[in-house]
Amino acid sequence: MPSPSTSLRTSLSLLQRQIVESPLDRKLFLSGPAGCGKTTVAVERMRHLLAQGVPGEEILLLTPQRSLQEPYLDLLYSPERSAGGEVTPATFGGLARRMCDLFWSLAAEAAGFAHPDQPPVFLTLETAQYYMAHLVRPLLDAGYFESVTIDRNRLYSQIIDNLNKAAVIGFPHTEIGARLDAAYFGDPAQRRVYADAQDCANRFRQYCLDHNLLDFSLQFEIFTNILWEHNIVRDYLMRTYRHLIYDNVEEDVPRAHDILREWLPSFDSALLIYDESAGFRYFLGADVHTGWALRELCDEHVRLQESFVMSESVAGLSDSLAKAILPNFESDVNSQGVSDSLEIVSRHFYPELLDAVVDEIEQLVSAPGIPPSEIVILAPYLSDALRFSITNRLDARKIPWRSHRPSRSLRDEPASHALITLAALAHPHWGIHPPKFDVAYALMQSIDGLDLVRAQLLTEIVYRQRDLRLSAFDEIKQEVQDRITFSVGNRYSILRDWLLAYRESDPLSLDHFFRKLFGEVLSQPGFGYHRNFDSVRVAASLVESVKKFRQSLEATFNETLTADPLPNLGREYIQMLQDGVIASSYVEAWQSEEKDAVLVAPAHTFLMMNRPVTVQFWLDVGSSGWYERLSQPLTHPYVLARGWKTGTQWTDADDVQYGKEALARLVSGLLHRCRERVYVCLSELGESGFEQRGELLRAFQKVLSMSGFKET
Amino acid sequence: MTNFTPRPSQQQILRYTGGRLGIAAVPGAGKTQILSALAAKIIREGWLGDDQEVLIVTLVNSAVDNFEARIKKFFDNPLQALYKYRVRTLHGLAHDIVREKPARVGLEERFSIIDEREAGFIRRDAVNAWLASNSLDDYLDPALEDSKRDWVKREQLPDLLDSLALAFIRSAKDRLLTPESLRAKLDTSPAPLPLAELGWSIYADYQRALAYRGAVDFDDLIRLALTLLETDEEYLARLQYRYPFILEDEAQDSSLTQERILSLLSGGSAGRVGRGDSRDRTETSGLHETAGFDALAASARYSTSNLGGNWVRVGDPNQAIFETFTTASPDLLRAFIESNPSIPMPESGRSQPSIIAIANHLIDWVMTSHPVPAARTALSLPHIEPVPADDPQQNPPDNPEAIKFIPTKFTPEQELEAVVKSVKNYLDSFAERPIEEQPTVAILVPRNQRGVEVVNALRQRGIEPIELISSTSETRAAAGSLSHLLSYLADPGSAKKLAKAYEVWRRDWREDSEKMALLSDVERVLRKIGKVEEYVSPHPAANSPLPQEEGVGVREEMERVIEEFNAFRVVVQRWLNAVTLPIDQLILTLAQDVFTEASDLALAHKLALVLRQAADDHPDWRLPELTAELAVIAKNERRFIGFSSNDSGFDPEYYRGRVVVTTMHKAKGLEWDRVYLMSVNNYDFPSNMPGDRFISEKWFIRGGLNLEAEALAQLTALESTSEYDWYEEGTATLRSRLDYVKERLRLFYVGITRAKRELIVTWNTGRQGDATPSLPLSELMGWWENDAE
Repeated sequence: MPSPSTSLRTSLSLLQRQIVESPLDRKLFLSGPAGCGKTTVAVERMRHLLAQGVPGEEILLLTPQRSLQEPYLDLLYSPERSAGGEVTPATFGGLARRMCDLFWSLAAEAAGFAHPDQPPVFLTLETAQYYMAHLVRPLLDAGYFESVTIDRNRLYSQIIDNLNKAAVIGFPHTEIGARLDAAYFGDPAQRRVYADAQDCANRFRQYCLDHNLLDFSLQFEIFTNILWEHNIVRDYLMRTYRHLIYDNVEEDVPRAHDILREWLPSFDSALLIYDESAGFRYFLGADVHTGWALRELCDEHVRLQESFVMSESVAGLSDSLAKAILPNFESDVNSQGVSDSLEIVSRHFYPELLDAVVDEIEQLVSAPGIPPSEIVILAPYLSDALRFSITNRLDARKIPWRSHRPSRSLRDEPASHALITLAALAHPHWGIHPPKFDVAYALMQSIDGLDLVRAQLLTEIVYRQRDLRLSAFDEIKQEVQDRITFSVGNRYSILRDWLLAYRESDPLSLDHFFRKLFGEVLSQPGFGYHRNFDSVRVAASLVESVKKFRQSLEATFNETLTADPLPNLGREYIQMLQDGVIASSYVEAWQSEEKDAVLVAPAHTFLMMNRPVTVQFWLDVGSSGWYERLSQPLTHPYVLARGWKTGTQWTDADDVQYGKEALARLVSGLLHRCRERVYVCLSELGESGFEQRGELLRAFQKVLSMSGFKET
Repeated sequence: MTNFTPRPSQQQILRYTGGRLGIAAVPGAGKTQILSALAAKIIREGWLGDDQEVLIVTLVNSAVDNFEARIKKFFDNPLQALYKYRVRTLHGLAHDIVREKPARVGLEERFSIIDEREAGFIRRDAVNAWLASNSLDDYLDPALEDSKRDWVKREQLPDLLDSLALAFIRSAKDRLLTPESLRAKLDTSPAPLPLAELGWSIYADYQRALAYRGAVDFDDLIRLALTLLETDEEYLARLQYRYPFILEDEAQDSSLTQERILSLLSGGSAGRVGRGDSRDRTETSGLHETAGFDALAASARYSTSNLGGNWVRVGDPNQAIFETFTTASPDLLRAFIESNPSIPMPESGRSQPSIIAIANHLIDWVMTSHPVPAARTALSLPHIEPVPADDPQQNPPDNPEAIKFIPTKFTPEQELEAVVKSVKNYLDSFAERPIEEQPTVAILVPRNQRGVEVVNALRQRGIEPIELISSTSETRAAAGSLSHLLSYLADPGSAKKLAKAYEVWRRDWREDSEKMALLSDVERVLRKIGKVEEYVSPHPAANSPLPQEEGVGVREEMERVIEEFNAFRVVVQRWLNAVTLPIDQLILTLAQDVFTEASDLALAHKLALVLRQAADDHPDWRLPELTAELAVIAKNERRFIGFSSNDSGFDPEYYRGRVVVTTMHKAKGLEWDRVYLMSVNNYDFPSNMPGDRFISEKWFIRGGLNLEAEALAQLTALESTSEYDWYEEGTATLRSRLDYVKERLRLFYVGITRAKRELIVTWNTGRQGDATPSLPLSELMGWWENDAE
């Protein structure tokens, strides 16, 4: 079999070939709908550049999100690539961070940091959440945000989101509150929250400046507002990178586009790729308009139109749906053929529907089947319960699957839960007293061959919650020892001895504690993590998360920066984890490395993977989640966008119109990544038992009645 | 297709073509049926445009399904009506409204809704916090001895304050007052209002706790929906277009806020008519009705079109009864009926003529002769009329003998005994008959506590009663099964719970007697296992854990038992390994193993989501607490919203030959062949006569004040701008007596009209031995003996 790349190369159209082989001093702007081969061209262009002897390190590959780099990385890491300089794959945010790190001395004082002589501390999303919580919590008690009903952690993240929006869209962060307020009408009691949100953003920014902390928004602002203005930095970047490949321009943010406008002329060659039917990351500040404007700076604008993905029938369905959603959508499509590409799976109850879906998939993959990797199951949201229900059913039929939605946060992961319980047992001075249940579960996880019944029996006897006492195995009655078995008893003794010895020694930092516990006990034969790779992976994620947390805290609480004493890191971390402040620290994304597997994902995730499939299953077609933007009382993607006229009110008509446009975009985006068929899956009662009849369902109804589709 | 034959009044209603219409219906008049028929007519005749729906609003989830089922019957092809109507409870409707734009009212995307029970916990916490740092001494009877005073503070005040807080918070929300706006009013109040201060403090605390969880309660949903409609004209106009016709059932139970929501949606507010302008609609719809249009409907059409609302309200103001505090009032519906075109719906095929006569006499007596003139508005016309001779549902034949008002002066115990004995004799007399010939029977009591006593007394006599609960037994059975499994997993060393878990696993076997025998063998053996771990995960070297059980000695049987043992072990091992999963995933895993029915699996999925939410709200909860939560759901102490289709309500027909025990409140909407009404004395049914006592006036409160009523009066005073509306202590206590008297009259009326063929009414002398028959009972007794024809 020829390798995929060779087969692709031969199948390129003439136009595509011309783009790939265009001169090394040409700047092209390539646009078209999804599925017309734009990324294919760009990957080939990269191959061509390298083949022409362009050193890898002169090539900058920019995408708005890392997952969009996958097709390029396949090439860069393929065995056929001979060694040489490495291409730089980057996101704009990543670039900003690297520049801040590299040119800190240039930025620190100008940005107003209190300690420019000290190194910067880069915050992750979770450590930023931690500091935000630290600052906002006392304000909540003082009556801030009283008129909003919101989970605290989401409150923190919306304030952070506002700061990020100001940075990527390019307005002073001090204007957040006023902009939101100006667009609001309605219950006046709500208005106050924008002032509160502004105040919190100000405090957070000041705290960062005082303590050398750089969250995403500061990194971005420092790069775009300060460093980019320095000739040293510009020279460095312009000299390093001579060739640019910038994919999914439409999904990137206005400030990135701004910088690119100034930077683009200095490249030798550039290939900018713009998906005309996309713009899915608007809620993260992405702006199609500023992206589209970049074409003016290119030598040529090439459009690819023809889809290599959609069958004629799918294309018809796509147009019909768009027309049903946006009545003034222009199309000359014939809706007669759409039923070839449309199947309806309808049941009364939700689990019945899932059974039916998996039945259908089983039939599809059985000979002369469709490979599992050519099938996706999509939903607007993927609750843990839903994901679990589907993947369980797929497992039962031995159909491989993968799911990109992290199933569980570290808080929920049994393996990390067990480690945290053990940490509490090892550090009595933290004052965390795990209940017996937790200890029994921890022992069950840690000790090979210990079942839950024996684990509870053992815990019941050896553990005292009040003072964290762990008694020795030989202290218990012979008869009970027999019940628990000696092999388990031995292992318990080893673990206990280790914990008691640790209690006597100087405490380690939490991540070092985990490493030591892991290395000296849990990974040894006879212990739970010895053979269980899944648990090992979880443990590694936990250690990584703790480490980042510790590094940021240690850097902040050094004597130069603050007089406050360093809080107890371990206890602090565990409390944060339990409060959900750092629930965002998910276990590494891919649950299963299997490539030839059915993908189970939220619709948006699938879109951002840029990969067409043969068959799509759309679950919850009646849900309003397909088009309603996330309700966020403290922020607003459209009102904060660059094109929004400050002072204009956001009305219901805007809501409806933007909602429809978003739905039309999403549907078209999905169908442009679908070769043959969509299964529309619908249960009369949704996951929570409610009836659902959202706009997407209505659109399907219209299409079906237009095409004379008969339900069978 | 349905074989619905409209009665005369129903025919009139079906000539409706638009505008507002009020319908006062009597018990058993077929309110659901007529609204379904009307909805079907609107759909069939094509009055709806693109994306328009008939909105049907009703009271409880079970009614939602009832409507769905009935409307579908009007169409040969159910697809004709697909998405042309929407049936919602008011809370469901409010949820729909808020769900589309949560951020505008300060809610985040997936805000959660806490149910009454969880709300009760939070409120209780707030009450306790208040009591810990404040004192209510000013309101206690100064004559109380110290020891008694301490007892009252410990045992009585928390409950008293809890119900006060419930009423206060609910009432404040109904007035769209937030803790903030209420505070502002308190700060500018010229007079001190200590109970309003108290209410505010608990309200503020309660609301903070909700916000912390990112949750709202049911009353918030209503409040926020109204706020949204009032502040966003475009949105309102869009919804008005979507719902060109609103049909409301049980309208007597609507509160002012709820009425305002429907009024706005139906375009009732001047200057707010959007695309769904009702004038266009009525004119268009007029085209469909060129003939047979009677004068009344015509007046409905033309006189109201300028009000701009197609809003049909059906209800029975005489059945407005409330178990807990509510802001609803039957006067609202009465006022609507008076000021708009109306059609009464008096025919009912439910009861035999003598029972109808008694109910009608109660109406007459209350309206004309109640000794407290202000109470005479408790009941109103129309009278109940039997159905015409050609009606498919005929009234049972007249039988005056089947009505018994027992004059005997029973003590509470004697009353129990007499009723239980009567029930036993009655049921025994049908024991030999086939089930379809057995009667339906209910004992209705005024209060829950009395119901418990009745249930116990029946059990002592060997009668197992049906306790009326609002969800179906399947819902409870499914939740109960999961609860047993969780309970084992929380205590995996317990052989007893293991045996129970086994029973749950084989729950499908119960129908099969042969399998049942094996099941009980296995169950018995499991129950006696001393060391569960040796069964669950045997040590390779260990001996067989199977005890040599007597009674299963036959070799073949023994083998089947062992086989069954091994099969169950595999399952248990899987469960035990799943125990560290998050609770939602654990539930789903268990459900896959024990349920086969689609509805059970769907319910399990829902339970998984609910318990996950509970676990997130209470991070310290482990399996025992979550099991307890599930057990509560299983026992149905909490209403389980959302799963409407499984919650098909209570059907008395299902329990022929058994006796149902419930409160008169819960009996609303139901009917039985024979009905016992108990405790109809002047304690449970006071009439504001000398000597009447009122439950809400506590002996330990000074001056016998009704604190709840006083607190609400202070709230009203705060809200009012009129200088004459100042608060005067004690007035509200007296006024609330009157409200109570009226509610009790309606309650008695509801009790009577539950009976189809036979009615037996008893009373007792109360705990202190001085109670008398209630005034309306005495009246009916006298009338029935002497004057009734």
